[in-house]
Amino acid sequence: MLRHTLLFTGYELGVMRRNLAWPIIGIMQPVLYLLLFAPLLTSITPNGELTEALIVFTPAALVMIALFGSMFAGFGMINETRNGVLERLAVSQAWRPAIILGRVVKDMLMLVLQSLLVLGVAALMGLRISLAAMGLMLLLMAVTGLFAANLSYGLALAVRDENGMSQIVQFFLLPLMLLSGLMLPMSLAPEWMQTVAKFNPLYYAVEAGRALFAGDFSDGDIPIAFGIFLVLGVLALTWSVRSLRKLAG
Amino acid sequence: MLDIPKNGENMIIEAHDLRKTFVAKRGRGKTETVEAVRGIDLAVDEGEIFACLGPNGAGKTTTVRMLATFTVPTSGTARVAGFDVVKEAARVREKIGYVGQAGGVDDNAPGRESLVLAGRIAGMSRREALARAEELFAAFSLSEIADRPVKTLSGGQKRRFSLAIGLVNRPPLVFLDEPTTGLDPQNRANLWDEIRALREAGTSVLLTTHYLDEADALCDRLVIVDHGKIVAEGTPEKLKKELAGDVVTLRLDDLDGARRVLAAQPYIKETQVEGDSLRAYLDDGEHGLPALLRALEAESLAIRSISLDRATLDDVFLKHTGRSLRDAA
Repeated sequence: MLRHTLLFTGYELGVMRRNLAWPIIGIMQPVLYLLLFAPLLTSITPNGELTEALIVFTPAALVMIALFGSMFAGFGMINETRNGVLERLAVSQAWRPAIILGRVVKDMLMLVLQSLLVLGVAALMGLRISLAAMGLMLLLMAVTGLFAANLSYGLALAVRDENGMSQIVQFFLLPLMLLSGLMLPMSLAPEWMQTVAKFNPLYYAVEAGRALFAGDFSDGDIPIAFGIFLVLGVLALTWSVRSLRKLAG
Repeated sequence: MLDIPKNGENMIIEAHDLRKTFVAKRGRGKTETVEAVRGIDLAVDEGEIFACLGPNGAGKTTTVRMLATFTVPTSGTARVAGFDVVKEAARVREKIGYVGQAGGVDDNAPGRESLVLAGRIAGMSRREALARAEELFAAFSLSEIADRPVKTLSGGQKRRFSLAIGLVNRPPLVFLDEPTTGLDPQNRANLWDEIRALREAGTSVLLTTHYLDEADALCDRLVIVDHGKIVAEGTPEKLKKELAGDVVTLRLDDLDGARRVLAAQPYIKETQVEGDSLRAYLDDGEHGLPALLRALEAESLAIRSISLDRATLDDVFLKHTGRSLRDAA
């Protein structure tokens, strides 16, 4: 089981290595936000310093990669429902969850690597965090990716249409982003928005990230975020594997 | 000794009354059931090339997908390589190669990567998988292009990669779903040679096709499938012989009159109207033709054109379904 997962991951990493341009373009958006948006936040930080703004905004920029990167991971699989690759794998000796999970692990690794690059840019801009905070943040990104990528593959296998899929993802992206406090902390929002945000898993990712970057390791949002994404990730994986079975009609 | 029924151990495929009904959504809560396969029995011997011949939509692909453990049958049973396709699907998958209609080769990677991955999933070490890939590249003349991204290759080259991937685990049985559809005549002939080579190596092949000449040229036995059912079964020779060896195709104005006249002739075994022409089947065309002409002349039926040919599987299809395969496809 593990062997098959790693085989698929290795194969997918090979495909990615040959097309390195895409994951690099994928981090341009969060990097631009860091460069051009984080400075605006200095007006709401206590001392008006960029380093404070970076502590607030860098975790958001990382979650952004998960949103705009991993949520689209499934697009490639729509083509594979047509070109016979999934059909062939379904009757091969492959352990079926490995077909999805292998790709998800690749997406998680990619997300962690992209996060490292974005963290590098933030460090150049003056962000200083502890190694422990960084490690935990990367781990948090990995579980966020576990959920987002699995959801994306499940959606791809259920919808099986590029146009439909892009409409659905776009439809959910904006409210998910605005209600996660990604751009501005939710603490600035009116009561009702804060209540709604509690139902958005990404809110916990952003809040947990901010707590980690502020060095507040005892913050309750950290275990909540890990727990939510692990559970949702497993659920999304189950869903996508079931959709894979349904492919046969 | 136990009385072992005829379905002994040298049957690589045995299917009994396989059926598949799909429920398709048609919007506004409406559903439509499609009976794709409506009771198919198959018995394929080890080492045979067996063909499912039929027009598009006859249920060939669904049948193959059920046998290859991709689709679960609605009812009926099938054993492939000695294992039940539903209850022992994992065991079946160890014994089969499957080359679907779409090919199933990843466009974004070089063929070598796809082949090595397929080999390793089948349980080989990296070194074994690389060696097996080399073997298959040599067999299918793919060595030169093994490291090019598949999307840059031609249709025929992709098809050869599909076949190579299907054979990576040295399966005793390989399913080929319309293996030559869309290929030019040269590539088609090459692929036929490769399929024949499989038989030489002792591999059993189940292929589907809507090309009569393909079934005729390649297979040891075949079934003709139409509307989800088998309408005829046997060797190409037997099926053609059932029908008579030769066929006279006539174009004339009074089709019905001519058909009446010919049906009454003792040497004519059967007549069929296909479009604006009349086909008369007889065993010895060279000697029957003069008598046929005299009979039509005696009734003053004017012939616009006439030809004498060997009967083909198309004639068999016409006999059993009342349609020409060319029209049905």
